[in-house]
Amino acid sequence: MAIWGLWVINKAGGLVYQRSFGDGLPHLTSNEYLVLAGTLHGIHAITARLSPTGTSSGANVISGETFKITILLTPTGTKFVLLTSLAENTADTVLQKVYEAYADAVMKNPFHTPEMPIRTEGFDSRITTIMSS
Amino acid sequence: MTIYSLYIYDRHCNCIYYQDWHRTKRPRTAVEGGLLPAVSAAVYPKADEPAPDAAAGPDWRHPRNTLNSATGVVVAVNDDAPRSPLPPPRASSPPPAQAPSPSAALTFDEEAKLVYGVVLSLRNLVRKLSGRDEQFVNYTTSTYKLHLYETMSGYKFVMLSDPKADSLRFVLRQIYAGPFLEYVVRNPLVPMDSREQGIDNEFFRLSTDRMIRGLTVFE
Repeated sequence: MAIWGLWVINKAGGLVYQRSFGDGLPHLTSNEYLVLAGTLHGIHAITARLSPTGTSSGANVISGETFKITILLTPTGTKFVLLTSLAENTADTVLQKVYEAYADAVMKNPFHTPEMPIRTEGFDSRITTIMSS
Repeated sequence: MTIYSLYIYDRHCNCIYYQDWHRTKRPRTAVEGGLLPAVSAAVYPKADEPAPDAAAGPDWRHPRNTLNSATGVVVAVNDDAPRSPLPPPRASSPPPAQAPSPSAALTFDEEAKLVYGVVLSLRNLVRKLSGRDEQFVNYTTSTYKLHLYETMSGYKFVMLSDPKADSLRFVLRQIYAGPFLEYVVRNPLVPMDSREQGIDNEFFRLSTDRMIRGLTVFE
């Protein structure tokens, strides 16, 4: 049970927020995170087209052998991505709370430009609270 | 719970085997030259058929066919008119509203390439994120789950199943260790690694089919 990372990807596939928690996964450079977020954005679009039965959402959970990636796609196209251990079963609720914090601390902030990197102290502290609870 | 399809790829990125079970949205047959021979007879391009929509079921993207199936007028008008271009009525015909949508119209070779691309990208993503030689195992969407098993020799076994299924990696390993080794690797008539031909043969198909149908997740 551990949470190792949080990303926010805008609707164009750009990484606008990235934070690592603990050291369950290696820390990469911000450039590498940008590339990985772009890849994930592309894969997510393709997975929706591969459905063998009718229309499908994109990938919700991607699992490796020791960690999983949980993706929450909002109706506006913003993606919240959580990197956790395989046994973590609260990923969906955590993502909902992050979405709430995003709506409160980022979208209501008059100094924030939409689709641009998030540099809001309020959001940072809300995330810290969510992750420590 | 069910199982939808099985793809096998070799280390040269070629799809060398395909089989499906409960798919409601079938891929169209591959275009000429897009698929190796001996992958799957069901999706191989049919060169010797005079009218593709007469044999391969109604072509719903064709505007005339869509019109007929939606209105039903032309079918009832004239008995002397040649009926052959009209598709036979099917019980499971899709509603005309969704029929012309481009997403329903992937050909098999396009689909096989997309599956391979997704699997390869996810493999690299997982490897990069974990910082070591960790394998990608599966992903889930709202309607299906994709499982991957990769052998040491670079063969990739990909299976699509119901999203609620547990990890089916062991099944893919069983296909590899059982039918694949027995009827493909040990079969002198199957050219492995040829880049010109798939591995489809009667024994492999039958024995894989039997194995999948025997699973509890198959129903």
